Amino acid sequence: MKDLKNPVLELTRRRFLGATASLGSVAALAGAGLSTVSLPRAFAAEPEKPKEIIVRAWGGSWVDSLKAGVSDSFTKLTGIAVRHDLTEDNEIQPKVWAAVTQKRVPPIHVNWDTTTNATKSALRGVTEDLSDLSNLATVTELAKPVGLDGYPIVNTYGYVYVLAYRPSAFPDGPPTSWKALLDPKFKGRIALYNDGIGFHFPAQVAGGGKVEDIPGNMQPAWDFITKVKEQRPLLGEDPDFTNWFQNGEIDLACTISTNAREAKKNGVDIKWVVPQEGAKFETDGLWIPKGLPENELYWAKQYINHALTKDAQQVWLDGLGLPGVVPGLTPPADLVGDPSYPTTPEDFKHLIRVSNKIQVENESAWFGKFKAIMQS
Amino acid sequence: MTTARGKTIFLWTLVMISVVVLSAPTLVVLGASFTAGNMITFPPQGLSLKWYASIAQATDLREAFLRSLYVALICTLVAIPVGTLAGIALAKYAVRFEKALQIYLLLPFTIPLIGSGIGLMLIFGNAGILGQLWPVGIACCVINLPFMIWAVTASAGSLDPDLELAAANCGAPPLQTFLLVTLPAVTPGVITGSLLMFILALNEFLVSLLLVDARIVTLPVQIYNSIRSIITPDLAAISVVFIGCAALAITILDRLVGLDVFLKSK
Amino acid sequence: MRAYPLTWRLLDVLETGLEKVFPRRLAGITPYLMLAPAVLLVGLLVLGLFQVADGSLRTLDTTTFLMSESYSLDNFRRALSEPLFRNVAVKSFAGSLIVTAMTLVLALPYAYVMVRTKSAALRKILLIALFLPFFIGQVVRAYGWLIILGNQGLVNEALSFLGIGPFRLIYNYPAVLFGLIQYMLPFAVLMLAPAVTAIPEETEAAAESLGANWIQTFIHVVLPMARPGFVGAGLVVMTLSLTDFAIPAILGGGSQDFIANAIYDQFFRTSDQGLGATLALLLVAAGSTLVAIVFALVGTGTLQMGRAKQ
Repeated sequence: MKDLKNPVLELTRRRFLGATASLGSVAALAGAGLSTVSLPRAFAAEPEKPKEIIVRAWGGSWVDSLKAGVSDSFTKLTGIAVRHDLTEDNEIQPKVWAAVTQKRVPPIHVNWDTTTNATKSALRGVTEDLSDLSNLATVTELAKPVGLDGYPIVNTYGYVYVLAYRPSAFPDGPPTSWKALLDPKFKGRIALYNDGIGFHFPAQVAGGGKVEDIPGNMQPAWDFITKVKEQRPLLGEDPDFTNWFQNGEIDLACTISTNAREAKKNGVDIKWVVPQEGAKFETDGLWIPKGLPENELYWAKQYINHALTKDAQQVWLDGLGLPGVVPGLTPPADLVGDPSYPTTPEDFKHLIRVSNKIQVENESAWFGKFKAIMQS
Repeated sequence: MTTARGKTIFLWTLVMISVVVLSAPTLVVLGASFTAGNMITFPPQGLSLKWYASIAQATDLREAFLRSLYVALICTLVAIPVGTLAGIALAKYAVRFEKALQIYLLLPFTIPLIGSGIGLMLIFGNAGILGQLWPVGIACCVINLPFMIWAVTASAGSLDPDLELAAANCGAPPLQTFLLVTLPAVTPGVITGSLLMFILALNEFLVSLLLVDARIVTLPVQIYNSIRSIITPDLAAISVVFIGCAALAITILDRLVGLDVFLKSK
Repeated sequence: MRAYPLTWRLLDVLETGLEKVFPRRLAGITPYLMLAPAVLLVGLLVLGLFQVADGSLRTLDTTTFLMSESYSLDNFRRALSEPLFRNVAVKSFAGSLIVTAMTLVLALPYAYVMVRTKSAALRKILLIALFLPFFIGQVVRAYGWLIILGNQGLVNEALSFLGIGPFRLIYNYPAVLFGLIQYMLPFAVLMLAPAVTAIPEETEAAAESLGANWIQTFIHVVLPMARPGFVGAGLVVMTLSLTDFAIPAILGGGSQDFIANAIYDQFFRTSDQGLGATLALLLVAAGSTLVAIVFALVGTGTLQMGRAKQ
């Protein structure tokens, strides 16, 4: 296998960036037994290849789909192994920041991160600029981070904080409003993220306020959240929602659709809606920390560029059930027309999107306020 | 109630409550590891070994386990001399500012682990030793050191100063007295302490999380990380294998030194 | 000389060596030399604490996510005045005291039975039960509790046969305390066991032969004699539960945070290392004060035993 030359891979350095766009054919050839583990001489002009690069990812189905869609094909294409670091995005952040401050080589090459968290790193100046990725020419505007210069991050897909519910608890039809959380029969049977993420904006609307008033006047949101607190919600993180639905602890939750879909795959009866007040739309992205050796930086960039190809996105995001940033992707069969998989401008009308700059500048205060209400 | 029988019933009731409370979650998880379903449930949904098959193929788990063993070994090897000396010193001698010193030596418990982790990450980062495994062992040793010191001082209670004095009177030089009289007296404490240090280091995840990277990740950190997105029965299976390995190690140790001897009342 | 075993000769050589390097007139500093390695090792943490402490005097600028150049006490003002931090502090301190008391109540009989039983097999089983919970880790352990205590858990299923429930047994403050007690019990037993070992069985027998029943013996003989162990075990449980992070996070259902959870949030969620450092420093100060109070009230516990006889 190692000796087989793959014609598609015999490229000059400059053409490589464009070539990853045609990865589909490479993958097909690879499937036919033509994969190369070490690359032929033609790549001598490339910077020296590291043995492996480290990509931070979330565990479970998140890393599985990244591996299937992006990492494995990247390895086939370049011969560089990809190691996944499953440290949480929140928890890798101080490690990366400390490494940059102390001028050490950072512990990861590529960080798969929420755009909000990534924006903090970008503002702090620990991210490499990615403007020269060739595949940025073909992506939708969703890929561009709002309110930042250039591309310190590339957004790779969007997702929605939906209202997930247990159909058996709603015999009269699905909930239509976030106010369903206030129904006395669900006391102690609802769940939110423990910092309230994803819930602040719809709460603002449900509390009678306007999205435009964020961040100036969020009193309606706090009033609504105070009422929700009376319902004794459980507060958790991604795996908790799946666990709680599976173990019959909750009937209603504000969570990322991916978690609800995960529980559904495990055989739990669960559905989700975007209520009339709207739901928060957010993006995740990829970025590279400063301080990598020149050659490793180059190959880390190739990884992100590769993640922006249509074929990589298709497989990766099928696994997550989320809409990508490359035109022409096919939604997974179970999500066609689903409000958590927005594709048309009409879909986006029901979603609340607030610039990441406003979010990062106020997030501490919002989390603090949410916690203060919930811990009292 | 005040009879000997009352005593037995009373004590055993409390002990049984403790045993049940201590073991229940472990037993449930162990049972759940044999499920044929995709969720940790008890009773398990059908019996199968599929989750064991799935972890058997994961070489990264095996490597992570070996790394954890290495970390625990470093931790214990450092803790034994450091903790034993400190413990004996505190138990045997009148030390100036003893209370202040005690409070200082308790810092590993009064500093929240996250603070210790961040602090050690910065110190080790400055020293350029992050990315290696032995500093993780040192870190585990520091954050649990009070256990070692206390285990030793507690057993130094049975240390008889008269015996030491007698040895010295008979002309035994200080090192000899230390090695042949003092040290054997505190051996039970050293064993308890080292066992505790080893097991705690083997399972440490919060401080280690900040000190390892993906290349040297230890097993508890790996488990902690994978749990952050979804909890699947393979984690239960890992726990079972983990317990199996530890049980084996402890059995061997028990054969060698007789672990329960130090607990017998004299 | 010929009758000397090799080890003796080796010892003599070492002894002479020691005498050269460390003459006897320096014997006064021996305890300090013995303590030095431990002091240095813990010094790593202190050094780290100093690094962190610098941040506590700087505030976070959310337009650059860097800490301010100038120093201020703003973080301390926030930490001491905001109701959120007061709430978590009250929960932590009250929790740690309740947990300490409950754990000691359960730990003493356990240690007593484990030490006094005549059966080696039983002693081993009790010992294994102590160490077993460590190996499934706190998060998986909490998942085990969900299976047992959840709305559809084993306990509620059993109760439903009796026609009652379901009750919310998990994700509340009592559940956090329960989880902490379970986590701390092995430590407490292991710290108490040597103290119980040190109580001669004859003393108890003597008390009973003088007409005391076992409860009186327990109160007047066992408890006072085990006091040093109590102090050690109590301090361990108190400080560890005061600074615990994992159990409130996973058994509290998100609304029963302790101080360490607030610190976690500042370091990892809002990226405000300054406020996180401030809370950590205040927690260390409060925890150490608590330890000092215990020492002042009851002495340094376990640590007095050896010297008490001198």
